[in-house]
Amino acid sequence: MTHQVGLTIITEIKAGEGEDIKQLLKAMSDNVVCNSVIPFGKFSNIHFARLFVLDESIDLNGRVIPPSLVFMSECDAPLNRHLNELVDIAGEGLDKIYSHCVDYINLSEITRKRRLAYLRSKMVNASAYYVNTVGRTVQQIRQESQLRNAIQDFLDHAQQDWSGNSSLEVRAKIQAYIRSERTLNWARKPPAQPGLFFKLKEALHLVGMPLLVLVLLPVLIPAFPIWLLLLRIHELSDAAPHLKPDDAHIQELTDLEDLVAQNQFGAVGYVKPGWFRQLTVWGILLAANYGTRHIFNKENLAGVKTIHFARWVVLNEKRRVIFASNYDGSLESYMDDFIDKVAWGLNAVFSNGVGFPRTNWLIFDGAKNEQAFKDHLRIHQIPTQVWYSAYDHLTALNIANNAKIRAGLYSKMSETKAEEWLRLL
Amino acid sequence: MADTLDLQDIQGLIIRGYGNLKAACYILLEISTPPPAKIWLSALADTIATGQTGQGEKALNVAFTYAGIKKLGLEPKILAMFSNEFINGMAIPHRSLLLGDVEESSPEQWMWGGSGTRPIDMVLMLFAVDDRELSDVYNTYAKTFTANGLTEVLKLDTVDLGNKEHFGFHDGVSQPVMEGSPQTETPMNTIKAGEFLLGYPNEYGLYTDRPTIKPAMDPKSLLPRDSSGSGNADLGRNGSYLVFRQLRQDVRGFWQFSDEATKNPDGSSNPTARIKLASQMVGRWPSGAPLLKTPQQDDQQLADANDFAYYQSDPCGYNCPIGAHVRRANPRDSLDPQPGSEQSIAVGKRHRILRRGREYGPPVDPAELLTVKKPNAEDQDRGLHFLCLNANISRQFEFIQHTWINNPHFDELYDDADPIVGTHYPDGGTFTMQAKPVRKRVTGLPRFVSVVGGAYFFMPGIRAIRYLANPTRAGLAPALVMPEKETKR
Repeated sequence: MTHQVGLTIITEIKAGEGEDIKQLLKAMSDNVVCNSVIPFGKFSNIHFARLFVLDESIDLNGRVIPPSLVFMSECDAPLNRHLNELVDIAGEGLDKIYSHCVDYINLSEITRKRRLAYLRSKMVNASAYYVNTVGRTVQQIRQESQLRNAIQDFLDHAQQDWSGNSSLEVRAKIQAYIRSERTLNWARKPPAQPGLFFKLKEALHLVGMPLLVLVLLPVLIPAFPIWLLLLRIHELSDAAPHLKPDDAHIQELTDLEDLVAQNQFGAVGYVKPGWFRQLTVWGILLAANYGTRHIFNKENLAGVKTIHFARWVVLNEKRRVIFASNYDGSLESYMDDFIDKVAWGLNAVFSNGVGFPRTNWLIFDGAKNEQAFKDHLRIHQIPTQVWYSAYDHLTALNIANNAKIRAGLYSKMSETKAEEWLRLL
Repeated sequence: MADTLDLQDIQGLIIRGYGNLKAACYILLEISTPPPAKIWLSALADTIATGQTGQGEKALNVAFTYAGIKKLGLEPKILAMFSNEFINGMAIPHRSLLLGDVEESSPEQWMWGGSGTRPIDMVLMLFAVDDRELSDVYNTYAKTFTANGLTEVLKLDTVDLGNKEHFGFHDGVSQPVMEGSPQTETPMNTIKAGEFLLGYPNEYGLYTDRPTIKPAMDPKSLLPRDSSGSGNADLGRNGSYLVFRQLRQDVRGFWQFSDEATKNPDGSSNPTARIKLASQMVGRWPSGAPLLKTPQQDDQQLADANDFAYYQSDPCGYNCPIGAHVRRANPRDSLDPQPGSEQSIAVGKRHRILRRGREYGPPVDPAELLTVKKPNAEDQDRGLHFLCLNANISRQFEFIQHTWINNPHFDELYDDADPIVGTHYPDGGTFTMQAKPVRKRVTGLPRFVSVVGGAYFFMPGIRAIRYLANPTRAGLAPALVMPEKETKR
């Protein structure tokens, strides 16, 4: 199975132990690849992983939401294997972390099975999940990067000057070299595809959802104008003050940014009060999930090509939503991409959150209010104490390009096609 | 409605680079005693060159760091309205990472503006027709510093190399033009005033955040009003953020590398190939002619050619390499969404800067450097005082520096930071030259340009300077400034 799954585990932190957890996470982040708690480098199927603390918060009705710990990972299916690896590779580390959380097993009664059961009991499903390219495994990404490097080295050293060769000749020499390299034998076969069961499930979802909408049309059509009217009323009356993020908060966030080619982003916010916004955000996330599964599932999220994974998770009885993503470049360029390319999509989801810049008809304005939007994101952004990437030197575009190199390596080509293929190098 | 530029309130350097004034120096000052310094500043305001001042014999402009503005006594609430980048400055750790100011370029090593150097509050920029005139102007002002509570931290001199920079290339060919300013340019190069000046609409049709003040706090109406209609007085209007970085150039290193990488099989130098490689790294030939238009050899006729787009005529980078300095510093139509489209150009317009830099240090002849050994000339410090103006440091200067210049993954590349000014680590960068049948590349690129000083400044409008100097004094400045009692609010 080669499709990707996102694991989310949310656990309430015991009263007064938030700082202990943060200390532990800090120690982990000093060496995220081979720390003694969860040595992420030992997992062969994790693309990205993160741990962060959601501090205690007061909801819109003045109720206290206790602090919690969020663990997220993006991994290759099946999820079961991932969970098993977690308890096998990092069993004691999990004890160290989760003994600070409520409901964890009594330390004297710990067994492998109970650890597993605990993780399962705290799992939360994402409402919408974006994978840059469904079916591309960690192994494939790493191998194809190795393949590209090998070809580049070969081109640098095999010949001083290639200008006397035709495209087909250069390509033939590359092919011959790769064939001669035992460690690159795998490149002869195309990458593995997602399993049949997964494909079937996706196909059913692809057709099923529109069918469901079709069936519900008699209800949806009369409901739509009412929804639109309510939307306008809410939009015009919702408060949208332009607040500035606090300087210390910015510094805490930026200290964790721009260390490698990629970055993490995590934000949490309250859904605006009332059933209308809750219903809207539910519907929009349903649509977003459909979009990411069936439309934006290959190297492109509505024009943005720098996102590896993204997810929306609804929590605290639908009062709050977490957005988490792994992307390339700086937050400034990420936010600019949002504004320039997918403002409509962001508006549709995020305008249901408290404090978002005012939208018009759900998708207009909002994020287009550049500085108000950027400040809003920063204010809601949360520091990600531990963050791991299995390939932090590769951008999503690099990965996509590597896949094209591999895909075209042995296919039959004309001179023109060979010329195009060589451009990938 | 198009907002016309208040040229008489905009400092001259924002409107033009003073090409006729060949001599210039920048004086970094510390405000040691604010009260007399404010009186001095108030008199200075009358002598600052504006966008309306004619081409005279000399010009003076002034800008402040956040520390400097703070010393002039603005309320914390107003100070907090300046941009985060300006407030925190250029030398904080995360910013160093973002800008690539690491290793030999790290602020701990800087000669000014860094962590271990004397604080800088303001910069006085002097321009004159020649060195003699400049030295007269300088002396006139320098005499007044001590008595007025100012201390000179450092005087940065410049040198006139014609239109070349130290590596030997024609520089400053492509400059955006501000909408509403006297110059005209192609639509691609004409940018909304709000991208460079605060208080005007920017490329998003919005006003960039800036300090605005309740009218009650400006009782004498010294400041312009907020043209976005808030009714407030606008302290930012007609001002701009000035990015100042002293960049040291390793001219010998640059040409030696280019020479080594292009040697003939017998080990002898190949000057033609050497200049070609260097030009490919720049994206223009020494004359300034763009490789896009003349990929095989230099062409003096095209020295100032600037009306072109990249993707449109050279999508694969066969003429001008994708990673060449000029192609990444201003990618024109190269980037997503839809390279080659109007949309791509529109996105690019949100990341432009007005460059106003000047060279410093004695020139060297690259060819001579490689053949004749002249240790004295080589050891001299030389480079560029990089100055640029923008309204939003993070979306303009910092974005260009991080996402385009220093980004090894720029436009689908892998390991190619800017070959000329980029930060290459840990074991040197790669420079890829797209070609048929297959790319050529050079590896192990060292750093040729390092940062030796820098700071973010705010260059206020003239009326804002008067307000900063004395917020309660009336109207236009009198001819003679009498020391007066500090009024407390």
